Amino acid sequence: MSGKRVLLCDDEIHILKAAEFKIRRAGHNVECVGDGELAWEAIQRQLPDVIVTDCQMPRLDGIGLCRRVRSHEHTRHLPMLMLTAKGYELSHEDIVEQLGVLRVVAKPFSPRELLRMVDEILETGRVNPAHASAE
Amino acid sequence: MYSRFAPSTNRFTAASAVFCSASALAWASTWSFSPASWLERLAWLGGSTLVAAAVVAWLVRSWSSERRLVSHYLSDLATATEDGSSGGPAAVDLPALLRRSAWGPSLEAISAALSKCYDRTEAAEMARTALEIRARRATEEQERTNQILAHLSDPVLVVDSYDELVLANNSASQLLHLDEKSTEQRAINRLIECEKLVEVLTETRRRPNATTRTEEIELRDEEGSSRWFSVTASNMAQANDATESPAAGSIGAVAVMRDVTSQKASQKRHAEFVSAVSHEMKTPLAGIKAYVELLADGDAEDEETREEFLNVINSQADRLQRLIDNMLNLARIEAGVVKVDRQHRALNEILEEAASVVQPSAEKKNITLVSDLSPMYLGVLVDRDMLLQAAINLLSNAIKYTREGGKVTLRSRMNDGEVQLEVEDTGVGLAPEDCKRVFEKFYRVKKDSDMAPGTGLGLPLVKHIIEDVHNGQINVTSRLGEGSTFTVTLPSAGRLG
Repeated sequence: MSGKRVLLCDDEIHILKAAEFKIRRAGHNVECVGDGELAWEAIQRQLPDVIVTDCQMPRLDGIGLCRRVRSHEHTRHLPMLMLTAKGYELSHEDIVEQLGVLRVVAKPFSPRELLRMVDEILETGRVNPAHASAE
Repeated sequence: MYSRFAPSTNRFTAASAVFCSASALAWASTWSFSPASWLERLAWLGGSTLVAAAVVAWLVRSWSSERRLVSHYLSDLATATEDGSSGGPAAVDLPALLRRSAWGPSLEAISAALSKCYDRTEAAEMARTALEIRARRATEEQERTNQILAHLSDPVLVVDSYDELVLANNSASQLLHLDEKSTEQRAINRLIECEKLVEVLTETRRRPNATTRTEEIELRDEEGSSRWFSVTASNMAQANDATESPAAGSIGAVAVMRDVTSQKASQKRHAEFVSAVSHEMKTPLAGIKAYVELLADGDAEDEETREEFLNVINSQADRLQRLIDNMLNLARIEAGVVKVDRQHRALNEILEEAASVVQPSAEKKNITLVSDLSPMYLGVLVDRDMLLQAAINLLSNAIKYTREGGKVTLRSRMNDGEVQLEVEDTGVGLAPEDCKRVFEKFYRVKKDSDMAPGTGLGLPLVKHIIEDVHNGQINVTSRLGEGSTFTVTLPSAGRLG
């Protein structure tokens, strides 16, 4: 085990399981939750090393979770990846620039590619804390 | 009219006559005085006097008659000149006697001059009448155009070459609150708050060549509600003025505004629908792709894991299939492509068949499916396949959102002359805000989305079948955490035969 914690957040159970399977087999610790509120609770319990979140989820969606993470001092630095099946109405560039998301990954995605990105983020360290509060 | 005894007057003749009379009188009076010649002298004197008197009388009478003739003629000329129906002065004949007299040339000249004046007056009168007719027609045309503009539902604005408002129909006045503005203020940029609209009008007006420009603008009312208008502005050039340089600009511009708010909303809904469809299709596809790749990469190290992955792929493929089928179904029915075959049917027969279709899925979750159908014959005029689909969708929905061990009840009855079917469950229930939206395409209650795979099209399809195709009604009542009841009402078709 690498000792690195990866928080996976998606309301689609099968997608969550596929990503968890791939990342866990690579030796990382993985925690899975089904919506943004559960993700925030998990973050409060223990800070993950990287967060992979879906965009469209019940209760608190991916964008709401990003804003909350970026608006708190102790979580602002956490690197985040966003998965999304949304089309034209979601600007990937805006998400990256305004919310400090490192990468927006369109669904259907490749679990292999997702693992590669997670490994790259874990190797490069934390996100620049200069991103302003977005909430 | 003219006396047939009137002689031609001649001053020479008159003078001669008087001279002779006077000479005779003078000769008679210069004789030497003798008794014998007194009588002769008296006779000559009397005779001369009589002749002279007769001549004078005749002269006087002649002059008077002539004067009367001239007076009559001039009077007739005047009447004919004034009274156009008589044919004018040219229709008045100059008597031959007057023509031969000293008056003749003058009277002919007067007649000719009056005829010319009469003809000119006639021509002027006709021209005036023609102009009046044209003016009246132009006024009527103008009035008709104004009425048309006033009653147009599309707002119309016209500005002149100084960018001042010269015309705004009723719709424009209402939309832009022009009636509330000062009647002295005509500058368009002071009358209209929407800068974009002002810019479209003024810029078009300034173009030297014939220009038509179309733009979409957004206007907001007092409540802040947005309305979209397609504005078509055209400039108006001077007619047939070749001397006017192209740089002089046009004499004005006209803008016609068409409300495209509903069109925009429809486009937005369509775009949202396409986005929602895309999102819904990508989700099962994402599952299929992810597990295929896991299998391909050899991540499933044991048979059990491989089987699990394959089952997921299969179920997601089924989900995609259902989504596509439901979408096509809904699209075909909404478009009217599907032929609706309305026949007299017994509602209970259709409901019993629907119950038998969903029974296996109810048993899988240990849910009790109860049929509480009316013992009465409930006749309805429906497309059997469509109503069966609707009933299956309602029952499937109820089973999906009811936890294991729960209960789903199917009822039918007659109510106030209408036929009703009802599906009641003891499931998770719906919040009031969800009740309002549950019939929207792709709407799924977020918190319950993990309970059952769905496309979000089942209930919209039911609504369309019941309300749009069969003129019925569907509504839902629910208590969160306790269950929901979907009620369908259809017109009764009575009993066959």
